Amino acid sequence: MSPSLYKQMMKSNFKSIMSFGMASAVYVILMTSLFPMISDNIDKIQELTEIYPDSLMKAFGLESFGTYGEFISAEYYGLFFLFILGIFSVMTAIQLIAKLVDRGSMAYLLSTKVSRAQVAITQISVLITGLIIIIFLNFAGGYAAGELLIDDQYAIAMGDFFQINFVGFLLFFAVGGYSILFSSLFNDEKMAFAAAGGVTFLFYALDMAGKIVSDLEWLRNLSIFSLYEPAKIAKGDVNVVLVSLILFGLGLLMYIATVLVFRRRNLPL
Amino acid sequence: MITIHNLTRQFSNGKGIFDVSFDVKKGEVFGFLGPNGSGKSTTIRHLMGYMKPQKGRATVFDYDSWTEQAKAREHVGYLPGEIAFLDGMNGTEFLDMIAGMQGKKVKEKRSELIHLLQFDPKTPIRKMSKGMKQKVGIVATFMHDPDIYILDEPTSGLDPLMQRVFIELVLKEKEKGKTFLMSSHSFSEIERTCDRAAIIKDGRIVTVKDIHELQSMQRKIFDITLHNLEDVEALKSSSLSIEKVDGNMVRIEVQGNYDEFFKELANYHVKNVSATNQSLEQIFMDYYNAEEVPR
Ligand SMILES: Nc1ncnc2c1ncn2[C@@H]1O[C@H](COP(=O)(O)OP(=O)(O)OP(=O)(O)O)[C@@H](O)[C@H]1O
Ligand SMILES: [Mg+2]
Repeated sequence: MSPSLYKQMMKSNFKSIMSFGMASAVYVILMTSLFPMISDNIDKIQELTEIYPDSLMKAFGLESFGTYGEFISAEYYGLFFLFILGIFSVMTAIQLIAKLVDRGSMAYLLSTKVSRAQVAITQISVLITGLIIIIFLNFAGGYAAGELLIDDQYAIAMGDFFQINFVGFLLFFAVGGYSILFSSLFNDEKMAFAAAGGVTFLFYALDMAGKIVSDLEWLRNLSIFSLYEPAKIAKGDVNVVLVSLILFGLGLLMYIATVLVFRRRNLPL
Repeated sequence: MITIHNLTRQFSNGKGIFDVSFDVKKGEVFGFLGPNGSGKSTTIRHLMGYMKPQKGRATVFDYDSWTEQAKAREHVGYLPGEIAFLDGMNGTEFLDMIAGMQGKKVKEKRSELIHLLQFDPKTPIRKMSKGMKQKVGIVATFMHDPDIYILDEPTSGLDPLMQRVFIELVLKEKEKGKTFLMSSHSFSEIERTCDRAAIIKDGRIVTVKDIHELQSMQRKIFDITLHNLEDVEALKSSSLSIEKVDGNMVRIEVQGNYDEFFKELANYHVKNVSATNQSLEQIFMDYYNAEEVPR
């Protein structure tokens, strides 16, 4: 890892990290502030949603809004959170390697005694730091809003809320992992983006299809997104340690592969 | 300091470099010439470890440029041919980053270079002109005082004044015993700095020659304007090789026989002399244009 490169890369990506972090934090706070109103009118909402088929409700986690934990998991962590972090992971991973190779600026990063492995490790660290910052803003925003706005009887335990964020982080640790692997594999920024974005979308779609159509439930096994079930974490129905280890292991594997690939390949610089 | 041995890389389109071999000795300035697309940058990219040779190998400072690329690069100042900086930085930030990665003390030499090249490094890079970017690149290349310079078209984008400043910079570093490999399209630049030069065409080395040898092969063209027409007639019957006569002006081609040339001219009233120095270029051009690679 090269400290100077890390510093400059963090500086260049800081705006984007902060916008994603702030946007998602604001969204959590907004959703949190809606919860008291929704829980007061829960009967009416349930009447309304009865017209939807059960499977659809399940897919979006709309079965029960009784507690804040279930509500925020379904309305935010099961949906908007995945989009924001998914876009950030794919975009940043591509920017950190494939874009620099495609545009030729990688020639400068590889003009000094800093080795290819060190450059790759630095870029990976920037991606992971970005994810940590965004998740932290999510956690802090959500937690603070929860403390201030939610009645104690509905509130989510800090531990559970932390787990939802932590496993969420590890999910995108893994998504970022394969994205940056694609980023190091392709010379062409657009190809790398299409590959990483395509795989991410496919994973998301497989998970969704499996949730909506019960006959296709097995599809979920093919998707990394099925490992992240925030509503179940809120209820305490998930073996968090196991899921965390799997996601962490997958991610780590991808990062190691990224370094190995980047060390060995020909670069058109 | 640099050896290249049978370096070969063929791209999918059939272009590339084939059996390129030459070496650059310590303290030598080595020119690398050739038409567009002849393989200069490709060769240099192998030296920097960006590509793995399909055949052959290259060493820089005794390190294999592929397997020990980071160690090799520690001793190299590299100026890429197509400079692409990172987005959203100014010159100073960029130089700070590179200096940090080089891990050497650069402050003094860096401000010296900035002063020499006369530009404002605080400008955001995307607002810089081509020449300014080139200058930032030159500072990044020279500031950590490397042993070997690998420069891909270093003066592209520089104005004539700055080209001269750059040549002086190269000569100063050469005096310190630094080694240079530089590709160029400027013959006068090569002539003024280099000890030897290689010419590459269609991916193959055509010749590696001593610059002095090339210079002695060079014919100089003198345009002599004489006072009266009788002198012109007399000069025409001398043993000098006359290319053209236009009124009082006589164009004479000289190749090494300067003594004879001046002795002959001493016999006349000379009104004006102008020399064109294009002929070294002409020698290169002969190599460039040759259909078949001479062996
Ligand atoms: N990554 C690549 N893939 C395919 N072909 C390539 C690649 N890089 C270079 N080439 C081809 O190899 C040839 C040599 O290119 P190179 O850039 O080495 O030329 P050059 O001598 O530096 O030319 P110039 O004077 O224009 O800079 C060209 O025909 C080029 O199109
Ligand atoms: Mg070139």
